[in-house]
Amino acid sequence: MHHDLASREVFWNISYNYIIYFLLVVVSTIFFIGIYRRVRLWRRGRPENRFDHMGKRLLAVLKYGVAHHKILKESYPGIMHAAIFVGFVLLLIGTTTVSFDYDVWGLLFGQQSFLRGPFYLYFSFALELAGLSALIGIIMALYRRYIRRPDGLTNKHDDLIFLAGLGIIILTGFLIEGSRLAATQPEWARWSFVGYGVSLILSGLAPDNVLLLHRILWWSHLSLAFGFIAYIPFSKLFHMITSPLNIFFLSFKPKGEITSIDIEHSETFGVSHIDNFTWKHLLDLDACTRCGRCQDQCPAYLSGKPLSPKKLILDLLDELNRTAKCSSSNAVTNDALNHTLVGSVVTHDELWACTTCRACMEACPVLIEHIDKIIDLRRDRVLMDSDFPRELQATFRGMETNYNPWNIGHVKRADWVQDLNIKKATENDTFEYLWFVGCAASFDDRAQKVSRYFAKILNAAKVDYAILGAEEKCCGETARRLGNEYLAQMLMEMNISTFNELHVKKIITTCPHCYNTLKNEYPAFNGVYEVYHSTEFIYKLLKENKLSLNRINLSSKMAFHDSCYLGRVNDIYEQPREIINRIHLHQLIEPGEKHHEKSFCCGAGGGRMWLDETIGERINHVRLDQFAAMDVQQLVTACPYCLIMFDDAIKDKGIEHKMNTVDLIEMVAMSLNLKCTDEEADDLVVEGKGEKDLFSVDITS
Amino acid sequence: MNIIVCIKQVADTETRIRLTPDKKTIDTSDINWILNPYDEFAVEEALRIKEKGQGNDIITVITIGPERTTAALRSALAMGADEAIRIDVEDNLDSLATANLLVDVLKNFEFDLLLFGKQAVDDDNAQVGTLVAEKLDLPCVTVITELKLDQGKVTVKRELEVGAEFISTSLPAVLTAEKGLNEPRYPALRGIMMAKKKSVDLREGKADESKIVVTGYQYPPERKGGKIVGKGQEAVPELIRLLREEAKVF
Repeated sequence: MHHDLASREVFWNISYNYIIYFLLVVVSTIFFIGIYRRVRLWRRGRPENRFDHMGKRLLAVLKYGVAHHKILKESYPGIMHAAIFVGFVLLLIGTTTVSFDYDVWGLLFGQQSFLRGPFYLYFSFALELAGLSALIGIIMALYRRYIRRPDGLTNKHDDLIFLAGLGIIILTGFLIEGSRLAATQPEWARWSFVGYGVSLILSGLAPDNVLLLHRILWWSHLSLAFGFIAYIPFSKLFHMITSPLNIFFLSFKPKGEITSIDIEHSETFGVSHIDNFTWKHLLDLDACTRCGRCQDQCPAYLSGKPLSPKKLILDLLDELNRTAKCSSSNAVTNDALNHTLVGSVVTHDELWACTTCRACMEACPVLIEHIDKIIDLRRDRVLMDSDFPRELQATFRGMETNYNPWNIGHVKRADWVQDLNIKKATENDTFEYLWFVGCAASFDDRAQKVSRYFAKILNAAKVDYAILGAEEKCCGETARRLGNEYLAQMLMEMNISTFNELHVKKIITTCPHCYNTLKNEYPAFNGVYEVYHSTEFIYKLLKENKLSLNRINLSSKMAFHDSCYLGRVNDIYEQPREIINRIHLHQLIEPGEKHHEKSFCCGAGGGRMWLDETIGERINHVRLDQFAAMDVQQLVTACPYCLIMFDDAIKDKGIEHKMNTVDLIEMVAMSLNLKCTDEEADDLVVEGKGEKDLFSVDITS
Repeated sequence: MNIIVCIKQVADTETRIRLTPDKKTIDTSDINWILNPYDEFAVEEALRIKEKGQGNDIITVITIGPERTTAALRSALAMGADEAIRIDVEDNLDSLATANLLVDVLKNFEFDLLLFGKQAVDDDNAQVGTLVAEKLDLPCVTVITELKLDQGKVTVKRELEVGAEFISTSLPAVLTAEKGLNEPRYPALRGIMMAKKKSVDLREGKADESKIVVTGYQYPPERKGGKIVGKGQEAVPELIRLLREEAKVF
């Protein structure tokens, strides 16, 4: 074996090869002009600083881009993408290496080629694998896109052009190699095993024909490859650049924080036309690969609402492109630029369907920020024109006058306390924790009971806490997500001023919505506190041995519903499950894949609690059906909104005899054998269901 | 055209009313104040007239009361009213004294329409609008649910128990608004910010002494809890007896 001599002649059998250098200049020019045209479009957006934490940004590109962190969460498309990605990245490195070896190392420095001997063979073998990997990925993609046709994918000509094109580039590559090997027959040919196979097929041809075939293939391959480089910025292939770029410019704010607006110093609020978005939000639009994962997870879309996060992004992208044409013809005052997005590009029904559940953002492999866009569009409608579904007026008025969306008299906020022994923060100098009760837990009948149990639990654990009573105001979460930033900031500022007057340092709350806003949104208004959700807090009490739970015999068919703002938004998944596992004798049922970060919204988030749901199925029914399909009898929640939504769904469907809801707090209270009052001891779980039912092994037996 | 809307600040309808220990007055410390809902219909109607007009209409809102009532004017300004006047008075006035104060201001005004809510939801007297019309010798139609302007005349609709009547009158006229006239808008932030910048014209108020004096208040009787008579069929006769004899519903 003379493998030490192994190498290949660059431009073998090719004349006029210098043409490619001219072509390269032409192709690169088109490529960079294409990129420049897009960058110019992004720069139409408002400024936003995304240039901090450079190191963390690069790490994010490695994690989400190179390592496919989110792409691989869906197995088939994940592997498909990884195969194409790895294949082409290696081929790019390979081609660049050959070019460096030949043009720089050889021609410029006059050094002997380093691509020879065993290194050349390994190199050649690796590229063989790379080509094969890309080819497999492309075939998987073609099969998925044109034969399996999943709902989330919409096909455009571009998809076929680039998949077929990439496939032909790989195939012609192998054919060139095969014809070269057939003509030169080097003894190390088997290292290039695919090309070697091709060469065996071609070996029947006359040598001249092989040479001619090689030349034709070579120039076709080159033209196609160069053509594709020029095509990149004008096609879906552009995501090779925009997706990593979008990942690089990721947001470091907490997942649950909506960006604030400066009300005092602004003339306009929210986004009314496309240029009102920041440049990063416009880059988002170009980063979308139309993969459809957002849509596959969206509760609004899946319950038959007109909203699809994917469609929203693509519609906004169309608008960006359309207005680019308008502005280039220098018609800034053109009607096309002056209309508001909502009502033309985005319909009202789409706008108000979002529950801000974050399933889309969790699924998006390239970290597109959908929710901030929707909120900014809502802000424009609400703050600029008071243009919102009419039922919201009462909600806004309620939060304005009585500081709660129910519009129940604000002095009645602490009526649920009754005879319980709870300190009032305004009447006590010292308390360690402020329990921010929140509106739902203060005013809703069912949630009030949970509040009473929570008070009992805190008392049993001898926690030093106090509540604000009538001084507490709505946290502002709902107003904020409904686009009423003015009202939200008013409420937040009132609460912060109360907290600070009372020197509040630590806050507990039973509502994940309050929790998220207090923890992640108050700091932007100088309200920085140590905030616990009741689930975290009970977990902490258990770890500190301040509570000891008893096992109780509950229905074996129990499931836990991950509420959006506890789970996806704040990553609290395991604490509630651990608490349940300490009480419950059986394994929890998980509803298919719809749990943890793929949990499905109850339908109440994003202010949807206060909006009529008239289109499609009701989201709470869809979610309940997912549990019913698993034969779940007891549904555990840790969010008052979810509790209300599921109780409603159970009543609507008339399946009270089959399923009931229980709040995690109620479960803990039962395990501690706490009863709120003698009177309430009988309805520990739900109306019409006694303690007996809950303690029995099977509620239907 | 000039439109004037007289408005009142009232306690929020969800307020839990508490009396002072002597039960002579209402303890206002916990009260959230709002713009009287019927007055809101009047303001909204004025805004709609203006929006349909040529752009030269002016809407002025007037209220009587202490400093806190400025908030009600700001609400109306945020909705879109152009000018605001507060007649500064500390005490609660009866309807006649209120009307007299308003007339003092209004008689120096030129206006085409004078709008009121049909009543304030706090004392529910429903008198001021008509009293002012009487004093100014102007035509007055109360509890209107529809308003149409046409060539210097106004046609309004009043809902009656048996149907509706349509009344036409010359301008200027006094009209009082009933629920159903329109759906008041929610002020946009733009309006709120603009309202903050507008100044309120403060007038000295020399009120007549109220002829009506509230001598005391009383809480409504407390609601009694329900009664469980029994279970199943055996309970029916007793239930019927109680419904007949105690509740007297038969």
